[in-house]
Amino acid sequence: MIEMVNVSKAYEGNPHALFEITLKVEKGRFIYLFGPNGAGKTTLLKLLYCAERPTAGEIRVNGFDLTELKLRRIPHLRRTLGLVFQDLKLLSRRTAYENLIFALEVLGAERGEVVKKANRALQLVGLERRSNCYPSQLSAGEQQRLAIARAIVNDPVLLLADEPTGNLSLTAAEEIMHLFEKINLRGTTVVLATHNEGITSTWPKEKFALEQGRLVVGSLPLPLACN
Amino acid sequence: MKGYFFRQAWQNLTQNPWLNAITLGTITLSFLILGLFLVIFLNTKGLMEAWGSRIRVTAYLAGSLNQDQITRLQEKIRRFEEVQEVSYRSQDEALKVLEEKMPERKELLRGLPRNPLPASLEIQLRGEYQNSEGVKSLVKKLRGKPGIEDLQYGSDWLDRFSAFMALLKILGWSLGGLLLLATIFVISNTIRLNIFARREEIEIMRWVGATGLFIRAPFYLEGILQGLLGAVFALAMLFTFFQLFLSKVYEPLKGVLGNFPAQFLNSEQMAAVALGAVILGLLGTQVSVGRYLRV
Repeated sequence: MIEMVNVSKAYEGNPHALFEITLKVEKGRFIYLFGPNGAGKTTLLKLLYCAERPTAGEIRVNGFDLTELKLRRIPHLRRTLGLVFQDLKLLSRRTAYENLIFALEVLGAERGEVVKKANRALQLVGLERRSNCYPSQLSAGEQQRLAIARAIVNDPVLLLADEPTGNLSLTAAEEIMHLFEKINLRGTTVVLATHNEGITSTWPKEKFALEQGRLVVGSLPLPLACN
Repeated sequence: MKGYFFRQAWQNLTQNPWLNAITLGTITLSFLILGLFLVIFLNTKGLMEAWGSRIRVTAYLAGSLNQDQITRLQEKIRRFEEVQEVSYRSQDEALKVLEEKMPERKELLRGLPRNPLPASLEIQLRGEYQNSEGVKSLVKKLRGKPGIEDLQYGSDWLDRFSAFMALLKILGWSLGGLLLLATIFVISNTIRLNIFARREEIEIMRWVGATGLFIRAPFYLEGILQGLLGAVFALAMLFTFFQLFLSKVYEPLKGVLGNFPAQFLNSEQMAAVALGAVILGLLGTQVSVGRYLRV
């Protein structure tokens, strides 16, 4: 599913944004990328969906060798992923339903399939009654659920979420975490980046801790039953 | 999927109506001016060809030549490479022609004690020699030939006409080039603003795995539509102006211009204009897509 071997990423002025990261995430797991702001969580996620390329090392995601991946093949990789961004990136001029439709239409899906998948995703995140609302008319928790719905609408095998509970109240964060568990139970691998220790201790999962670009705690893969 | 592309392209065109109207106006104006040049150029060329076919060299014959000598001279001239046809006009025929041209002086001409007009050979040139060079070359061969007293030809206007055509061509190309560049700039600017207006959607498209072509296609389609619509409007306006020109200006002058039938662009030429506009739309789009939409 995910395999990183001695991966480093350097930027101008930050030579060790990530330094010699080696980790492996098996199919069906739910793992945390844990660490304070600036630890390299977002950079690591960006490497996984090819928004950035590593300076050194090897990365394999869902059978794609990202070290060798050609530009024109990147969309094929991303179709196997679901992405939840820290800033959500919802389309403000489209309704909740249209946000999902858009994500499917641009992949060239058939109309009937688009409608079916969008309704299913809205139902899964509990927004079926709010489908005609614009993002600005939704609460922070609902917006986050919509962003998750868009990420899973095309049935990805791997879900990457960057600080999905960052701006939420405790109740809303709980709802979101239950939602991620539900998605994981359906077989989707979940990688969740967070700096919130409360989250990781309330919902204990396999945890990779980052600090200043280095992997400081990398637990060995646990048996599926422990997740 | 095609429906999606058209919907997006239409959305791009309508989300900023003023900007797109200005772009469309610029394309229309550019192609209107270019079309105008094309119509003027093609008609002037046609007019010149029509006039050129009427170029004749008249060789006036000495009165001392007998029929036998005239026939031999006629045969000799016919063999020149510049010559298409040589016809003999006797003194009587020349007088008759003059009488027809000047009917009011008919009686006066008939009252002359003897026919003062010389017999002549009317020489028609081959198509490729129907220009001032051809005329000069033939005249050189005829001048001083025994039996020919004088030569009449008029080709100075042809030189002037050729110069005018060359000027028209240069003006058309340079003005056309500048207009096309300006149009590419305007189209690319509109596309750039549309890319900017849709930046959020484009970003989402990238992250969910839309291909580069899928993201770019609506913008190319928009450029093509703008070019095509501009060309259609320009041709429609040009046709209206042409009809107005025909009825108000050309009809009264038709006789002076030798009843030359003024022509509008034919279907192939109109298709070429439309194709040119489409290519221009694509080029304008490519400028912005290449710079601002690297996916």
